[in-house]
Parts: sequence; C-alpha cells; structure tokens
Amino acid sequence: MKSFFWENLRIALSELWGHKTRTILTGTGIVIGILAVSLMSTLISGVDGLFENSMKFLGRGNLYVEKWPWFGDEDWWTLRNRPRIELDMAEDILERSEYAMVVASERGRSANLSYKEYKTENIFVHGVTANFPEVSTVDVEYGRFFTESEDRTGAQVILLGSEVAKALFPLENPIDKMIFAGPTRYRVIGVLAEMGKFLGAFSQDTQVIIPIQSFNKIFEGPWGMRRLTVKVPEEHVEDAKEELRGVVRVLRGLKPDEKDNFAINQQDSFRQTYQGIKVAIGGTGLVITALSLLVGGIGIANIMFVSVKERTREIGVRKALGATRSQIQGQFLIEAMVITASGGLVGLAISTLAAFAINKFFFPATMSFGVAFMAIGLSAAVGLFAGLAPARKGAKLDPIEALRYE
Amino acid sequence: MSLIQVKDLYKIYQMGNTEVRALDGVSVSIEANEYVSIMGPSGSGKSTLMNLVGCLDTPTSGDFFMDGINVASMSDDELAHIRNKKIGFVFQTFNLLPKSTSLRNVELPLIYNGEIKAKDRKEMAMSALERVGLGDRVHHKPNELSGGQRQRVAIARALVNNPAIILADEPTGNLDSKTGEEIMALFDDLQNQGNTIILVTHEEYIAEHADRVVRLLDGKIAVDEATPKAKKK
Repeated sequence: MKSFFWENLRIALSELWGHKTRTILTGTGIVIGILAVSLMSTLISGVDGLFENSMKFLGRGNLYVEKWPWFGDEDWWTLRNRPRIELDMAEDILERSEYAMVVASERGRSANLSYKEYKTENIFVHGVTANFPEVSTVDVEYGRFFTESEDRTGAQVILLGSEVAKALFPLENPIDKMIFAGPTRYRVIGVLAEMGKFLGAFSQDTQVIIPIQSFNKIFEGPWGMRRLTVKVPEEHVEDAKEELRGVVRVLRGLKPDEKDNFAINQQDSFRQTYQGIKVAIGGTGLVITALSLLVGGIGIANIMFVSVKERTREIGVRKALGATRSQIQGQFLIEAMVITASGGLVGLAISTLAAFAINKFFFPATMSFGVAFMAIGLSAAVGLFAGLAPARKGAKLDPIEALRYE
Repeated sequence: MSLIQVKDLYKIYQMGNTEVRALDGVSVSIEANEYVSIMGPSGSGKSTLMNLVGCLDTPTSGDFFMDGINVASMSDDELAHIRNKKIGFVFQTFNLLPKSTSLRNVELPLIYNGEIKAKDRKEMAMSALERVGLGDRVHHKPNELSGGQRQRVAIARALVNNPAIILADEPTGNLDSKTGEEIMALFDDLQNQGNTIILVTHEEYIAEHADRVVRLLDGKIAVDEATPKAKKK
C-alpha cells in the first residue's frame, strides 16, 4: 500500500502542477481559512496569557473588602450611598475570622511628584500597611520596603514604581533622595521591579507606595480608594468569603434583614467575567473563522468533482490496467489533501508572520506548536472530507462506461 | 484445460420493458498461443464478449475460466487484479495518459501490480518499449509521437506484465492502412514469441492475420472457423 501513496502523491503533484491557476485559486480558500483559524487561536491564547499575567497581581487567595463591587449590576445610587470602608476593622477581622491570615489596609489617590526640575503628574499614591508585601506581588528591585514601626509612626518614606523612578531620576540613584509628593517631602527607600500593566490598562509601574499612616496625615478627607485586603488559604477561599461577609456584617452592626453595604471582591469574579467574554467573543470568532474553512472545503470538493469528471477516461484506463477502487479513491483523496495541506502550510506561514507583527506592535501573542499542529491537521482533515465524495464517485465508475467517455 | 474456456455465457440487459440479450449462450475455448479474431456487425454482442473476456464486466450467467480460474462471479477488485496480471489491453484510441511519457505509460500496469520495485519497473518498461521498436522514444509524451508510435506504446503497455492474453479492440481503426499493416506485423511477431492474442475487428483483411475467426450474430456464435492463413500452415 505504501508504494501507492508515493505513486498517488506523484500523480497528484503533476496533476496540480498542470493546473496551476486552478490549484492556486482553490488553495487560497484554505489559506484564508487556516490563516483566520490560527490567528484567532493565537489571539485568544495571547489575551489569555495577558489575563493570567494580570491575575498574578491579585493573589488567588485574596479577598478585597471594598465599597464598590468589581462587577455586577446593582443600582449605582445604592452603592454610592454605602458608608466608606473603615480601615480600623482590620484588626477585628484578623481576630474574628478563622481563615484570615493577613489583613492589609490600603488607600490610594493620585498626586503630583517632583524632584529638582523633574516632575510627574497624576501618579497613583498607594498608602499601605507594612504587611502589604504579604498580600501582593510587589517586588522591591533595590532598596527596601518600609517597616512596621515606620508605618506606625507615619514615617515619610516612599517606594517608587519603575516608571516613576525613571522619570524622576533619569541620571541619579534615587535611594535616599528627597522628593515632593504633593506638599510633603519623602525620602526614597526603594524602587519596585517592573510589573507591567494590569489587563493592559492600569500600569503598576506608575505608582508609588507610602506607609498608610503618613498617607492619612497628608490626604485627609473621604476621597480616593480604600480597601482591606484579606489573605486566606486558596483552597478555602469560598468558605472564607462567606465567613468574612459575616464578620464584616457583625462589625457594621447590620440586622439580618438588611442588605450588605459593602462588597467582597476576589480574583475569581474577574476570572468568571473574563471567561464569559472569552467564550462569547473567542468562541464566536472561532466558529466564524471555521466557517471560512468550510467554504474553502466546499471549493475543494467542487473542483475535485470537476477533476473527476474531466478525467473519467483516465480513470477508465487506470481501471482497465488493474487499478482497484481504493487505489483510484486514494489518488483523488491525496490530490485534495495535497491542495489543502499546502494551503494550510501557506496560511500557517502567513499567520506566523502576522503573530510576530502583533507581538511586536500590540501585545504578547506567539503561535504555539499546538496551534500549528492543529492548523496542519485541520487542513488535511478538510482535504479528506472535501475529497471523499468526489474520490468515491471516481472510484465507483464503471470502467467500460469510463473508457467510452468523450 | 484451455487458456480461456467460456461455457453458456449470457449477458442480459433490461432496457425499460425490453430484455436485450447481448450474449445469448456463448461457448468458446481459446488455447494458449492462439490468435483469434472476433467479428460481427454492431449489436452482435462482439463488444460485450470482449468486455467479459477482458474482465471489465461480469456475465448474467455462465462460466468463464481464465487460466483455470472462474472469473464469472468475482468482485470488482478481484477483477481488477485479474486484469492487471492476466490481460493486456490495446484500444482503438490508444488510451495513453497524455501528460505522461512513454515510459510512465508502460510502467502503469506494473505500478498497480504493487509488488514490483521501482527500479525493476523501469527496466521492464524499457525492455517492453524495445520489443515494440521504441527504445529511442521512452521520454516522449503521446502528443510527440505519431499514431503508429502511440499504438506501439500501448502494445508495450499491454505486454509489460507478461499477460496471459493480449486483447486488442480495433487496434488499427485509427491508423492509416500502411501503419495498420505495421501494427498487424507486430502482432504476428508477438504470436511467434508465444503470446495469445484476441483481436476484435470488423475488417476482413485484419481478421485474416489470426488463425481463427469467431463470428457473432445476435449474441450467438454463428461461425467459428480457421482462417486461410492457418489452413496454409
């Protein structure tokens, strides 16, 4: 049987070479289909990677007690009128909750920074407790984080995000320099490692971190972000969430019939929302692109029927000389698969280049081996399905009729 | 036992309400190395008999032994194997593959044989082409050859598998009379080399190259006699 494969491949190649224009036109349908499918998969996996990368900022075992829920469709005015989160709940939560391992308080708002003639505007100033590194992925590249006592005493020390450090200190070492944050002077004690953007929007590198007690001294008033980050064991995050909800309700003195006037946010709500979007957009995209492959396949089937018809007499001769049904069927199947597989390879080559371009100019997206294998397998499968009916028709021809065909 | 033994062969077609008896009880035997012409007007069953002898078709009833094997009730693929190994076809219209060289055309039956290595195939095809006097035309395509040369390629293709019989259907029908004579001389040579030849024709002078003429009429054998040439021998 093996020798027939090579023989059939040889026939297919010379036949396709003999009809170059037809082959290229038919193959283009497959090129487009494979290009679309493999680019779509690459984009989805690129967005996936981006998402997973962003999710690292939010620990899986973190619960965030905040005024606003991250997702949901509750009435804006109801949410607006909720009381602010009392950051002094932190100790009570740690005491009352069985799951809570660490509770960090955070505040934040934007301010302008300056050092000598260098200025940066609208930098997110993040006031956090000294245990913040335990609930986040902040990574101090050089220098150090502030200590518990520095926080308690409201020391005026600051850590700079990598972008901020570059903007304020293009030439100097920032450590131990004094900078202005709003009206207040701060001593730089550390620079954070580059972290990238959160979901491609909010840059982690254009923030600065100060002790929350010094934040409270400078930025009075109700404005800005405030939340409690509660670290719980990842495997019990759902139970912990329920428990935390109860604890906060008790601390706020809510009656059983009153609704929650706070939100407990977690990474999973991002994940669920993202999964929903991914299935909706990505799934639809894949179905639509797969349809283009189907259209390409129909084109192949059509041209193979024409080819079988045109070569009726050739089939008759081959049969008279001893070709069996399966040999004739194989001949046309391989011909169809050669068209689709080469179309698939061309499509794959183009989409690999396109993925490179996207990677370079937009966001991380690399063609995985899985996608490449899928593209080649898929194009061969399209050839198999598109070629099957025409090939069977050719194989079933009566040699006497076929030899008489003009 | 004879090389070909046909017993009470019937081929009946149903055309609407009418029953057409293309072959109506034919019995005939052909020995190895015989040279037989089949003649008859159109509609006599000549083509039907040829298709059956060529294993391109199966009879409605009757027995057909080829080289001792009953092929009357074989499946399509079994018939394909018989055609490949036992029969060499020569057609009126040559039926060469137009895009392939002489060598490739002659190699074709060996490819479908499936058991012959590529190198041996080339050698066998070359020697078949040399036997028909086309050793210098192996890389030419059919459109680069004359009608007579094309038919020689087709004969080489029929010979290459060392078939039990060579079945020629009006082999000179598309050739001028001089070229036709050359082709007929080639068949005479092939018989002298030990081949068995069955020739279908409606030309008396072509049929006379054979040793024996079988004349069909209305699906039955009307005459089965030796030719003058055979009587002379």
